[in-house]
Amino acid sequence: MNTLNSSSQPRLAVGCRVREGEDGAGALLVPEGVLRLKGTAIDILRLCDGRRTFAEILVEMESRYQSADPKQMEQEIESFLSRLQQRRVIDF
Amino acid sequence: MTTPPLALIAELTHRCPLHCVYCSNPLQLRANFEELPTEVWIQVLEQAAKLGMFQVHFTGGEPLARSALNSLVSVAHSLDLYTNLITSGIGLNEKKLASLIAAGLDHLQLSFQDSDEGSADRVAGVPVHARKVALANLIHECKSLAFTVNLVVHRHNLDRLESIISFAESLGPQRIEIANVQYYGWALKNREWLLPTCEQVQRSVLIVQRAQERLKGRIKVDFVTPDYYASFPKPCMGGWGRQLMLVDPSGRVLPCHAATVIPGMDFENVREKSLSWIWEDSGSFRRFRGEDWMPEPCRSCDRRTLDFGGCRCQAFLVTGDEAATDPVCSLAPAHSLIEERISHANLSCGPDGASLPPSWTYRTQSVPSSPRSPLQAERTEGRVSDTPTS
Repeated sequence: MNTLNSSSQPRLAVGCRVREGEDGAGALLVPEGVLRLKGTAIDILRLCDGRRTFAEILVEMESRYQSADPKQMEQEIESFLSRLQQRRVIDF
Repeated sequence: MTTPPLALIAELTHRCPLHCVYCSNPLQLRANFEELPTEVWIQVLEQAAKLGMFQVHFTGGEPLARSALNSLVSVAHSLDLYTNLITSGIGLNEKKLASLIAAGLDHLQLSFQDSDEGSADRVAGVPVHARKVALANLIHECKSLAFTVNLVVHRHNLDRLESIISFAESLGPQRIEIANVQYYGWALKNREWLLPTCEQVQRSVLIVQRAQERLKGRIKVDFVTPDYYASFPKPCMGGWGRQLMLVDPSGRVLPCHAATVIPGMDFENVREKSLSWIWEDSGSFRRFRGEDWMPEPCRSCDRRTLDFGGCRCQAFLVTGDEAATDPVCSLAPAHSLIEERISHANLSCGPDGASLPPSWTYRTQSVPSSPRSPLQAERTEGRVSDTPTS
């Protein structure tokens, strides 16, 4: 099993797509259905383009959400991406 | 306004080269001449996108039996719908696969009947297993297409579950779906022969958990549980009229694969009404939406927002009352009807899992191929009952 580290370059796995709704809310389309994206999830997934590293994604998110605690944000993003990797939604 | 549906299940045809004994299609299959023309399917896809749906699942019968499949995938893709093909693979070759991918196919689910060729072919009623394995290798090489291997499990193959999972793994999918038979359509007809024993079920749950742990991050393993053995019912279709719309080959719009078994229901047809009207206003979609229809114990049960009272079709098929609590629920007044089936399956004199049933019913039916030549019957057959969509 892969472990996420600062040089990992996460990207959406084959068969997984993000779609933005008219109301700005997002949906993650996967083979077995639709997952509603809440809060910053859509921002994070948009940054998972296979080029940016995990470290770069964190820097970008920190600059967008300056009032958030960076340590806590890092933990949350790491746990979010790891869970999605286990579901085969994200590859890195 | 009602929240829009998430996905369209497009049953393009009931024709299928397989005769699986557990097919989930209805016993009354729609004939060729009743099938919606391609231009109507295109309108259906346009209406689905407009209604806010995200995905379209092309299924059947065998959807590859419709020559317009490629164009329909292309139209759906151009409407920004996620496209999923649920298939037995029969009718597919390298060229067709390449053109489906070029048309924008996102995901393909290939069904298998077993890991063992002889057993697989006996369930399908035709020798197709070896061809499916060859196709799986072709699909695996298409790196831009997501690939699920679906395997239906039941009394006669659950004892081989470990080798079934190894077999599925060897085909190289991103996802494996181990789906216990659900008792609708042809599966209900063969229930006595398909229902597993308690011991088989308990063992299989552990085997699947171990596989999930072992394959974590590499292959996602989904398990469709045997609902007769569950304590609570499945949230069938995510709730009646809450998430999904199914259009059958003749254009009838159903809240669930099996809904036509419920007597007295009037299902609208896409030839006459729009999907949007059917979703919002039709009596059939409103019939079991929300909680007003619920009997006790559902009405006051905390789980009513999780399972929505279970499956309406199963309630009707087992109890004769479509508005009853799904009898698989341990709290249901009619739960003893399920317990009776389970005790029968667990009797030592019940059908032996290792031996083949002497008389099961293959899905095969004669239907007129054209309304003008009713005497010229054509055999129209079954499909792999892949996924209860959940």
